[in-house]
Amino acid sequence: MPQNETVQDLQLDEYKYGFVDEEQHVFRTQPGLSEEVVRQISANKDEPAWMLDFRLKALEVYESKPMPTWGGDLSTLQETLDEIYFYVRPQDKMERSWDDVPANIKETFEKLGIPEAEQKVLAGVGAQYESEMVYHSLKQEWEDKGVIFDSIEDGLKNHPELFRKYFGTVIPTADNKFSAMNSAVWSGGSFVYIPPGVELETPLQAYFRVNQERMGQFERTLIIAGEGSRAHYIEGCTAPVYSTESFHSGVIEIVVEKGAHFRYTTIQNWSNNMYNLVTQRALVHEGATMEWLDGNLGSKLTMKYPSCYLIGEGAHGNILSIAYAGDGQHQDTGGKIIHAAPNTTSSIVSKSISKGTGRSSYRGLLQVHDGARNAKSNVECDALLIDENAKTDTYPYIEIDEKTAHIGHEATVSKVGDEQLFYLMSRGMSEEEAMALIVRGFIEPIAKLLPLEYAVELNRLIELEMEGSVG
Amino acid sequence: MSAPILKIENLQAKVADEDLQILRGVDLELNAGEIHAIMGPNGSGKSTLAKVLAGHPGYEVTGGTATFEGEDILEAEPDERSQAGIFLAFQYPVDIPGVSIANFLRTALQAHAGDEELDLFEFQDLLMEKMDLLDMDPSFAERPVNDGFSGGEKKRNEILQMACLQPKLALMDETDSGLDIDALQIVANGVNKLREDNPEMTVLLITHYQRLLNYIEPDFVHVIVQGRIVESGGPELALRLEDEGYATWQSEVTEEVG
Amino acid sequence: MSASTETTIALNEGVTEALSREAATARSAGEPEWMRERRVHAFDVYARTPMPTRRLEEWRYTDLGEKLDLASLSLGTRSEVADDPSAWPAGVRATMEEDWDAAAHVVLIDGTVVHVDLDEALAGKGVVVTSLRDAVNDEETWEDAKQYLATQAVKPERGKFAALNCALYLDGVYVYVPRGVHVDLPVRVTRWISTSAAAHFDRALILAGETSKVTYIDEVLSDDLDTHTFASNAIEVIAKDGASVQFVQMQRLGRNVFAHSQQRTLAHRDATANTLNVALGATTSRVDLNAQMLGPGSSSEMLGLYFGDGDQHFDHNTSQDHVSPHAFSDLLYKGALDGDAKAVFRGIIRVHPKAQQSDAYQTNRNLLLSETASADTLPNLEIAADDVKCSHGATVGQLDEESLFYLMSRGIPQEKAERLVVMGFLGEILLKVSLGGVIEKITREIERKLAHV
Repeated sequence: MPQNETVQDLQLDEYKYGFVDEEQHVFRTQPGLSEEVVRQISANKDEPAWMLDFRLKALEVYESKPMPTWGGDLSTLQETLDEIYFYVRPQDKMERSWDDVPANIKETFEKLGIPEAEQKVLAGVGAQYESEMVYHSLKQEWEDKGVIFDSIEDGLKNHPELFRKYFGTVIPTADNKFSAMNSAVWSGGSFVYIPPGVELETPLQAYFRVNQERMGQFERTLIIAGEGSRAHYIEGCTAPVYSTESFHSGVIEIVVEKGAHFRYTTIQNWSNNMYNLVTQRALVHEGATMEWLDGNLGSKLTMKYPSCYLIGEGAHGNILSIAYAGDGQHQDTGGKIIHAAPNTTSSIVSKSISKGTGRSSYRGLLQVHDGARNAKSNVECDALLIDENAKTDTYPYIEIDEKTAHIGHEATVSKVGDEQLFYLMSRGMSEEEAMALIVRGFIEPIAKLLPLEYAVELNRLIELEMEGSVG
Repeated sequence: MSAPILKIENLQAKVADEDLQILRGVDLELNAGEIHAIMGPNGSGKSTLAKVLAGHPGYEVTGGTATFEGEDILEAEPDERSQAGIFLAFQYPVDIPGVSIANFLRTALQAHAGDEELDLFEFQDLLMEKMDLLDMDPSFAERPVNDGFSGGEKKRNEILQMACLQPKLALMDETDSGLDIDALQIVANGVNKLREDNPEMTVLLITHYQRLLNYIEPDFVHVIVQGRIVESGGPELALRLEDEGYATWQSEVTEEVG
Repeated sequence: MSASTETTIALNEGVTEALSREAATARSAGEPEWMRERRVHAFDVYARTPMPTRRLEEWRYTDLGEKLDLASLSLGTRSEVADDPSAWPAGVRATMEEDWDAAAHVVLIDGTVVHVDLDEALAGKGVVVTSLRDAVNDEETWEDAKQYLATQAVKPERGKFAALNCALYLDGVYVYVPRGVHVDLPVRVTRWISTSAAAHFDRALILAGETSKVTYIDEVLSDDLDTHTFASNAIEVIAKDGASVQFVQMQRLGRNVFAHSQQRTLAHRDATANTLNVALGATTSRVDLNAQMLGPGSSSEMLGLYFGDGDQHFDHNTSQDHVSPHAFSDLLYKGALDGDAKAVFRGIIRVHPKAQQSDAYQTNRNLLLSETASADTLPNLEIAADDVKCSHGATVGQLDEESLFYLMSRGIPQEKAERLVVMGFLGEILLKVSLGGVIEKITREIERKLAHV
């Protein structure tokens, strides 16, 4: 049982994913973003002309939009963006077998436990290193059932019609400044298609690794879950710790067709020098269910609000968000739910833990459009503060244009109480064990929804982060 | 007679961060296997005594000593005192949302076991045995600690923890408060069963009312008023208190102070 | 690019022929020099502050460009109505009929104080209830007025409209309760707006000395007006150590009025500053309320109640600042919306660093009675201390069908049952206020509105 582990068992470094591999690339653009950079990326990928047009238009939109002044502190982001590499190609082609992946990159993923997990518990694995997917593989039985799980580039090449039908339709280029940026320079990410009626029993996983210093990663993922299908997609992210800042801005578009059930899980554990500004959205059709399970533990600043657009009658959206903000971190996370059809239901559960000088902010939008009769939604935000310098904010926007809507929102802020600690210590636990137990209890409602392996990982990561938090 | 298991001499304590003296020189000796009851009016310091012995951070010891099995305990952390064999049954047990009783007890028992790995099957057996002893439904162990519990459930949970941790000294802080007579009997029966199992367990009952002593019979009764033990005797003292109240001693002390 | 150097230069947004620097100077005729300077300074702040737009969080759901037309307004002028009830508008007399239990009465017409009476015994104890103009000029009160008027609570720097009110207020009410004096009956203020197509500005300064106690009931009303009219009001409450102030505002203005009330309560050590805002009238009603918990042991109960119908738009913008540790604040705003009415609630609890052991709560509940009514609610928290108890909640829903069914199954017709349920929903607020006359007035008004449902 994972709960049996205690912090004493985990004599590990604070951030165990902080190792650096030898730098390796076959091509990279000049630092900073320019039309030239965009053209180089497109040329490097040997794309159709329409995609280059798409990128160049997106660059214009990006440049026309002001830097957001809400959320986290982006005041020095422009300086970072001027210095980073927007595209780094680590190897010439993507592999289907780990044996063909260059040794040092393979070693990285082995350290992260990916090939092992693939054999045991996953239906398929994609691994991105810097700007490109270096590995992609799907178990034969799913391939036989017509499942497509490929790099986004191969999606464009091999399934052009399907790709073009959906690409950029869920998140338009102009949605926000960073979706526009991603649209201009996207590289890597997954293309997933689950045929109607197919139910994947084990999850697909994509793993994102940034190794290069001063790197920007811009993966783009497009997922289509066909009618009545069922699948779970998991992404994990890590990077080495550098003194300079890095940048990650993904765009994830998901279409959940009628009656389908799709879950997207993120365990984001970027190093603390990473800006993580991600746009994730799902269009949820009639009777379908979309679940976002969003775990944000790493990064310097994360601004990320997974959204569900409930556009079909009876659609259901679920957002579970867990954030951990340690020293110097700001997690500005939450979710958006738009009820645009009758009898749609949704829930958002957010749990955040702030420690040291960390700050966690919940930011959410809940909208019920006129005519979305009998929409029901419930939002719950709980924040736990570990010490007196920690900070937490809650900004829920609730906009209701429909009489028959039934909406509730509740939030609480609490600290780990002295009385709680004493109670546990009077039963023989050390202060650290007591703290870990309380925090585990706090995140339990979310951890229990994760597959066991991930629940263990989440608990372990949080315990690692919590180490040395008392004293 | 061998050395007392708990020996308190001239113990003085105040509320931390405040200039409020509560214990003004308590002397008390408990021998292994004895049951002592401490009774006193509101604000007399009886609960404070239990909390100070368990190491509650809300109080500061300002003088005197307390030794457990010959060792000074006043400097020890609460977890160290627990591991040494002292158990405080809380007057107001604390909620730990999301943490099941089983998980909580396993963590506590592992802490007591030290480096030795707790055997999960043995733990399960122990938990089931103790729950059976206390007539508790096994599903109780899966509920989050005290979260949404009734007053009686919280107190039974305290007794279950006591049963599993098998302390040498149980400090029972107003275990009877907030319980109706049925719940009181259940809790008292639990304590008595644990004593049958482990006659060496020493018990210090802190109570405001005599009624608990109908179910758990003490060997000694002490009266605490304004932070000092003003009289000690046998069970008959409790009956006298029931009839006369604390007025006699309160006026004495007041005169003494005035 | 010289934009950065120009930012200090007046933008003059919202500066019109009527709302001008000259008007601010003219208003200070007969006032001491410091007041003139304060008005002119306030006007300059107004002129250089950009007009709030929906891009600002605080104005996200109220579009001033659409709701307020400053250019169409003249500046409200001194009313010549005599200090004689028979000369007062019928609406004033009608509402004052019930106001017998009072320590003092003040009547304002179009921002002009036309009547003041104060219990003689209280006057003997040093209580002052007077027109703000008199307080500013009178040597007994001007020191306090100078110290507190628009300097600590609703000062010009609070925002464009706070500045405008300070620059152009015509008159208002000044209340001073000396240390230790308890004013048991309420001070009742009736403010009537009669001139349309004008911008009216008035304000109140309520100074409660140490351990004193006072209740202030502010009723603002008018008939339905034929053209767009602006009624701006500022309320400053200063509760010194151990003082207890209860402030109630009942807004029953007529259609075509844009009502704007800016309120700020400062509660010092162990002081209580409670507020109740009732919004029933006006076409657009905006209340900005900021409660400051400045001393340990201070507290603020903040209640709000609104009932909108037709095309009414209510916007409550509240904030609870816990600056000091060991303070308490609890906000509950409830409203029902019918017709095309829209309610906006934006609340924020800010627990400042070091404000440990703060208890702060915030709840907004809305009932939508029609297909076209809507409610936007943003209950925010910003917590920078760890040892706190804070929570907030918001709900939007329709009438509970179970309750309706239960009542109907006992023979109550649907319409009546609905009214009962709505009254029950809003009644939770009224139950918390034990003020003679106030509950009855509000209940009657809501029932009158409900009768049209």
